Amino acid sequence: MAGAGAGGRAGSVRSRTGRAVALARLLNRDCTRLLELYRERENFPPEMCLEKDRIVALSPSAPHLSANERVWLLHSALHQCLRLLERVIGWEDEQGFGEEGEYESMRSTVKDRLGHLLQSTKTLLVEGEGIAPLTPNPDNPEETDGLEKGGIFEAKLWTCRVLQELIHWTQSTAQTLHTMHSERDKERGKTTGRKGKRERGGIQS
Amino acid sequence: MDHCLLWALLLTSQVRVSQCQNGFQPPVPQRVRVEPDFVSQVLSIAWDKDLTYPVLFYDIEVLRTELGEIVYNYTIEVRADSAGRFHHWNWTSPIPLECTSHTVRVRSRQQQHTSDWSEQIVPGMDIPVNTGAKMYPQDRVVAVGSNTTFCCIVQERKEFKSFKYKTSILNSTRLSRRSYAGTVTNQPPSIPSGTNVVCLDDSNYYTGTVVFVGYPPGDRDLVCETRDLVSVECQWRIGQDTYLRGVQRQTHYTLNGKQCKLHNNLVKSSKKDKLQCQLSVTLDQGEINWTLGARNPLGTIQLTDKADINHRVRPHAPLEVYTANVYSRNASVHWRWGPNGYRTLPLECQAHVNSSENTYTFDYSGPGVSEALLKDLQPDEEYTVRIRCRTQQNTWKWGDWSLDYNFQTIKERPDALNIWVWMDSNQTGYVKWKPLSKSESHGQIVAYEVTYWNPEEDGRRTLSLPQTQHRAPLCPGDIGDCVITVTARNSAGTSPAASITIPRFSAGEVHTLYKVSGRNGGFDLFWPPYANTSCGYVVEWCPTGKQDCDVDWRKVPAGNASARIESGSFVAGVRYTFSIYACSSGAPELLERRQGYVVELAPAQHVSELKAQQYGSDVLLSWDEVPLDGRRGFICGYTVYTPNGSHLVPIENITDPNTRSYMVRHLSPGFYKFTVKAHTSGGQDGGVTVSLKLDPSTDWLVIEILVALGAMTGFLFLITIFCYTKRQWVKKTFYPEIPEPKLPEEWPTTPGTFGSRTLAVEPCPHNTVHIVENPERESDKFSPEVELEEEEGDGAGAGESPPDTDSSDPVVLRYYNQVVDDGSQGPRSADSSSSSSSDSSSTSLASTRTDVTYTGIQSAASSSGAPVQPEASDMGGYRPQMTPELASAEPQADSAGPADFPLLGDFGGYQPQITWRADSRPASTAPWAAPHPSAPPSSSSPTPPLRRAQIAYPPPPGFTTCCRANPDPPPSRRHHAVSFFGGDTGLFQLISVFNP
Repeated sequence: MAGAGAGGRAGSVRSRTGRAVALARLLNRDCTRLLELYRERENFPPEMCLEKDRIVALSPSAPHLSANERVWLLHSALHQCLRLLERVIGWEDEQGFGEEGEYESMRSTVKDRLGHLLQSTKTLLVEGEGIAPLTPNPDNPEETDGLEKGGIFEAKLWTCRVLQELIHWTQSTAQTLHTMHSERDKERGKTTGRKGKRERGGIQS
Repeated sequence: MDHCLLWALLLTSQVRVSQCQNGFQPPVPQRVRVEPDFVSQVLSIAWDKDLTYPVLFYDIEVLRTELGEIVYNYTIEVRADSAGRFHHWNWTSPIPLECTSHTVRVRSRQQQHTSDWSEQIVPGMDIPVNTGAKMYPQDRVVAVGSNTTFCCIVQERKEFKSFKYKTSILNSTRLSRRSYAGTVTNQPPSIPSGTNVVCLDDSNYYTGTVVFVGYPPGDRDLVCETRDLVSVECQWRIGQDTYLRGVQRQTHYTLNGKQCKLHNNLVKSSKKDKLQCQLSVTLDQGEINWTLGARNPLGTIQLTDKADINHRVRPHAPLEVYTANVYSRNASVHWRWGPNGYRTLPLECQAHVNSSENTYTFDYSGPGVSEALLKDLQPDEEYTVRIRCRTQQNTWKWGDWSLDYNFQTIKERPDALNIWVWMDSNQTGYVKWKPLSKSESHGQIVAYEVTYWNPEEDGRRTLSLPQTQHRAPLCPGDIGDCVITVTARNSAGTSPAASITIPRFSAGEVHTLYKVSGRNGGFDLFWPPYANTSCGYVVEWCPTGKQDCDVDWRKVPAGNASARIESGSFVAGVRYTFSIYACSSGAPELLERRQGYVVELAPAQHVSELKAQQYGSDVLLSWDEVPLDGRRGFICGYTVYTPNGSHLVPIENITDPNTRSYMVRHLSPGFYKFTVKAHTSGGQDGGVTVSLKLDPSTDWLVIEILVALGAMTGFLFLITIFCYTKRQWVKKTFYPEIPEPKLPEEWPTTPGTFGSRTLAVEPCPHNTVHIVENPERESDKFSPEVELEEEEGDGAGAGESPPDTDSSDPVVLRYYNQVVDDGSQGPRSADSSSSSSSDSSSTSLASTRTDVTYTGIQSAASSSGAPVQPEASDMGGYRPQMTPELASAEPQADSAGPADFPLLGDFGGYQPQITWRADSRPASTAPWAAPHPSAPPSSSSPTPPLRRAQIAYPPPPGFTTCCRANPDPPPSRRHHAVSFFGGDTGLFQLISVFNP
């Protein structure tokens, strides 16, 4: 297949980035809907659980980072989000909160698509460079587990924050990858233009 | 900082409050201890007994420390001989103990004397060292319908704003500086994730807690059994949903004290509302109690089932069911039990075999049964088999069904076809056979073979038809004694031959038709047994009158002379003809035919050709029968109606269905409508109407005339008889004998004063009245101008006047002469003599009276020739009213009276009814006159009945008055004649006045 790279990567980097962007956008919508369903179930007003502090404290938009580093940070953040989501799902199942409703269905969908997005971002990383994602900061107890610090109400608030993290990081992933995708398009255009000029010059010469 | 110091003091010291009292003071309770149970919100208060001074009463008070609000105050009595070294008292707080600090104080009481308080403080979570916001109780599990008080501790330097229970705002009560409480009553069940209760402060910071509202365990119906003979399985129904989920809140079970866990031995049964717990046991325990404990945060229940598990063996489902040998009509089925098996266990098993058409159940028994033989299967049939077993002894429950196993039996040749022949009146028809069902075909039919054989010609002809065709033409040529044989063929072979001998069809063959009624969607047919049948009967049916009928038939075994015919093709309201044939070695023999409807309906069509014909005053209605297709039932009769307004009134119900006419009798002329409706047992049709205008009959008119004439004749005859029998009365009444004038005996016959004088008969002079008609007046008004011409020498000169020769009064003249003649002739005929002799008494009377003779009124034409007297009798309505008898009854005094000339005297009932005088005349000049009978009535006086004219009347207008008197009459015999002549009508009236 054209564009198939090593490690089972299918398509060109550009197309993979495009697919990752689309998937990140789709997942972002899913996460938004998941949070809505959660608020409905818990009768949480919109102003509740609007924490500004991030559980996953990474900054892939730093200007000095390379594209690969940015992808790597996004991949790490999404990986932590998946871990947080799995923890939430496990905790809710343990508490017997699941009842096979729309929330539970959407929760499962988000988990699956988040795994796919992780896989997509992983394929964007240059082999040998930062494949292993960052692990959570052990100094941030919230980042490790916010479900055990208080009662069930606090755990619900923390669940709400995890869902917000998902929204944030899927949006960041979509935006960052989209920017990278656009930049690569520009670079490709420039490269194609110079190469064309050279080729045309060679012919002329 | 100040707060910290304050609370440090409160926590580290016991304060003894001195109470100044006069006299004795009980000892202060020592070593007061308060243990809070935050889950149950109970404060457990204990203090040491005072062994030296037994106290029987203690006061206990609980206060919210910060606000000093007393929330509990009670005096307890303790037993002096109670065991132990300290006293104990529990107090349950209505709010979570974490909400705020509580001060518990105890003092001893001796009647009215009390000791100082001994206090202990239980700090709440709102103390200043805890600066964060918090809600209590945390993650509490409560029962549905209960009340719960929540409290909210706001952050330091924040203000409480509101409580919310789900989406409802709660009323709040302040407990302390930072703590507020709100109570929820009658809580409904919560969702699995619990009900959130949140608290909001002035910075819109949310604090919250979760409460789980549910029910205690409601499990029931515990049943224990064994399936593998090495463990016990107990099942029970979950019952009421507890609404409590999660490891911490769900119901936990124990079986005989051992935990049943979901991941271990607690499983949900196949039925969703059941749970089961398995426990390894030995079966030699005999009958014991199996106890299930169910517990959740709201309660615990126990269920018990007492049983000997040896008697409660319910086998597992057989495994790996398969068929070892499959044939066309049987198959052997094998299965395997689980690892342990029931090799020695006596089992009773069921094999449930299901095909597309049938379902069978086979029973087998034996120790550890693991195979079965399935019999009576159909060839080429797909079957599904499943097995289950139970113990043969101490029968308990059937084990589970095994999984279904499918197999198919092998094919066989088809069964013989069921054929029949149908012939119509044109000696054409077909031979038909019924398609073989799956149970008869034993495999897919690939073709049919039809063989024609004529024994006379000994020739055979075979025709092969595809599987989709189920009829074949009859024998070619002469079909007499032709035999048709039909076979079906599948991949396994050819069916046995089915033959039929084509019967000779005789056109016009007449068979008695019987009616047969449908019942419950079919027909019950009975027929007399036919001795010569060898292979039973065939009942054939077809819609009556239908060309190219798709015949159906049913074969009835010999010995049965009846059949219940049912078919899905039967249609209500359609007549079917059933033909019953006797089956023999030769051609079928038709025994009889019947017709019937499976359900009779009201006719769909009405009678045809309805006509009405008049026969005098009768009307004959005639019609033709309802067409067969429209009858939809047997016609039971007809009903004749006539409309009455918007309704039809039945006038005749004809119960004979063969009747085609009806006579409506005795109708008077007029317009008539008749409606005829045919009816079946299903109802009536809509009816058809005919109208007729009934003309009057000529005979009737003649009869009417004859009757009228007869009646008239009879009436006249009766009148005649009456008049004849009463002729004397009639004569006296209507024609009284007019008395003749009588001459008195002293009538001078000798010459004397009068005797020498003869009666000179001269027409009396009369006054002439000239009628001057006023042409301006209307002709019908009777008001002529009268002009009287007085004769000169009135009275005295009368004798000198020439006789009136006016031709207009010859009658007067004649009559006058007649009267005179009569008087002069003396006694007349015998009649006169008799009357004179018989009226001798009246003679004197007459001599004193004035007799008046009416000559009536007659026209001038009629009066010209006829004598006056006879005509007077015909003048109806103008007759004398005084009978002689009445006259004779007059008192004699009248005659003896001085009225020697009573011209205007008493007439004895003959009085004029009006007095009419002409104003222009003196009464003495013409004091008499009678009104003309036809004179117009006056408005002031009606027309008087015509009686006797009064002499004093003047002549009516338009009449000429004629009066002649003897110029020398004796004073007592003056005669006056008055004649009225009608001006317009030409009538006149003559009134003679005799004055004796």
